[in-house]
Amino acid sequence: MLAYPFMQRALAAGLLVGAVTSVLGVFVVLRRSAFFGDAIAHASLAGVALGVVTGLPPLPLAAGVAVGIGVSLHRLERVSRLSLDTLLGFVLPFFMAIGVLVLSLSPGFQPELLSYLFGSILAVSWPGLAAVAGISVAVAVMLAVVGRRLVFATFDPDGAQVAGIGVARLLTVYHVLLALMVVASLSIVGIVLVNALLVIPAATAKLRARSLGQMFVLAPLLGVGSVLLGLFGSYWLDVPSGPAIVVVAGLFFLAAWAARASATLRRRPAQTGKGL
Amino acid sequence: MKDAPALAVENLTVRFEGQQRPAIEGVSFTLAEGQIAILIGPNGSGKSTLLRAVLGLVPFEGDVKVFGKPVREAYRQLGYVPQRLPFDLTLPLTVREAVRMSLQGARGGRVEATFQHFTEILGIAPLLDTPLGSLSGGQLKRALIARAMVTNPSLLLLDEPEAEIDIGGEQTLYELLGRLASHHHLAILVCSHELELVYRYAHQVLCLNRRLLCAGPPAEVLTAGAIAGLYGPTTTLYRHAHGAPPR
Repeated sequence: MLAYPFMQRALAAGLLVGAVTSVLGVFVVLRRSAFFGDAIAHASLAGVALGVVTGLPPLPLAAGVAVGIGVSLHRLERVSRLSLDTLLGFVLPFFMAIGVLVLSLSPGFQPELLSYLFGSILAVSWPGLAAVAGISVAVAVMLAVVGRRLVFATFDPDGAQVAGIGVARLLTVYHVLLALMVVASLSIVGIVLVNALLVIPAATAKLRARSLGQMFVLAPLLGVGSVLLGLFGSYWLDVPSGPAIVVVAGLFFLAAWAARASATLRRRPAQTGKGL
Repeated sequence: MKDAPALAVENLTVRFEGQQRPAIEGVSFTLAEGQIAILIGPNGSGKSTLLRAVLGLVPFEGDVKVFGKPVREAYRQLGYVPQRLPFDLTLPLTVREAVRMSLQGARGGRVEATFQHFTEILGIAPLLDTPLGSLSGGQLKRALIARAMVTNPSLLLLDEPEAEIDIGGEQTLYELLGRLASHHHLAILVCSHELELVYRYAHQVLCLNRRLLCAGPPAEVLTAGAIAGLYGPTTTLYRHAHGAPPR
């Protein structure tokens, strides 16, 4: 199976995206911003549609829309005095509707659109793999540089600001990284399912981890495991790869949740005293 | 500047957008090394706003100097303990990770010795591998103080540290602050509602209700008239007969 070049490309793209998206997903879970990835993914349909209709490459256009939203959201949040989830409630339907309207300008069925909606990891080309690899490595390097500061700013924004961290600028960087990774994941699992790759491995890791450090190790392992099992499973069962990856990630989550629930039921009530 | 006070606030005014009246107006005071100043005043009097201005978290008019330097240049000398953190209590963040967070990856013998020292004197060393979300109010507060102290600040600011702590815990906490001030020559600025604790542990009381209404040692400042003027005629201070606080 791995002798096929398309499987080699799919595996490489899937592993890169699975690992980096899951690490970024830990921040998404920490910041309780799961809606952000979903909104960015759906809004990027406007860029994809523009590409489909004009014949320009859709992914760079989708990246332009996603990064544009990522850069402006934090500023918009401050200027408008609306909460981030309210703004995302505007961003998601507005840009998606623009995408649908743009697509309606092109008559007939657009098969390319389906691959962006549900992903087509097996159709990743060499240039596509290069783009995914470039984005994944750049995002991983940036996370290594700003990760500690981002954790600090997430738990205690005021404390981080007092410690000399430019929290507003850091959050803009985080939103841009998230936007880039969402776009890189479009070819793997598609617009509809991209948020699953972002949230589910990190949420599963949260259920099992005993420390934040463990969560950052477990999440990419789960992301990579989901991609591997989903990809191979979809090959053997002859089913679409994107949904298969998401289902595997979901099964990991359910297993972790069941294990935790069963451990909680077995445990006796703790008799620990608290006090200063 | 070695001779400069730990904190010098001069004519501090904070205005919020859309509000005609300033949140605080023309506030001036100084705080010396090794001293505890406690800000008192009713809800909405501007206590937290004053702390946030000193920390550089809100724009202000006037002058704030930390050891003679503008606050933006002195952030390494500041430690801050917020009233509460906006984090998800179900996250698997350990006390060790929370305390080390302010070190930003700094390592080395001196850093580790400081970490060990403050986690021990604040009594959280046995709790380092415990999830932060499972701590009691008092334990959490001590963990947050340790987090602020491991960077070796010279000025510590605390926003209502006694919130969510029982009565015995409040006293233990203020005793700890007293020891930090005297043993580490730390200047401490605290917001508080607990007048008895203020009386026992403050070297200087600052009465705030948008403007600074009184300032000085507790025995001089916390008079029945001053308290009634600040909180209303029904508020009084009950002074226990268990002696003066450790200074």
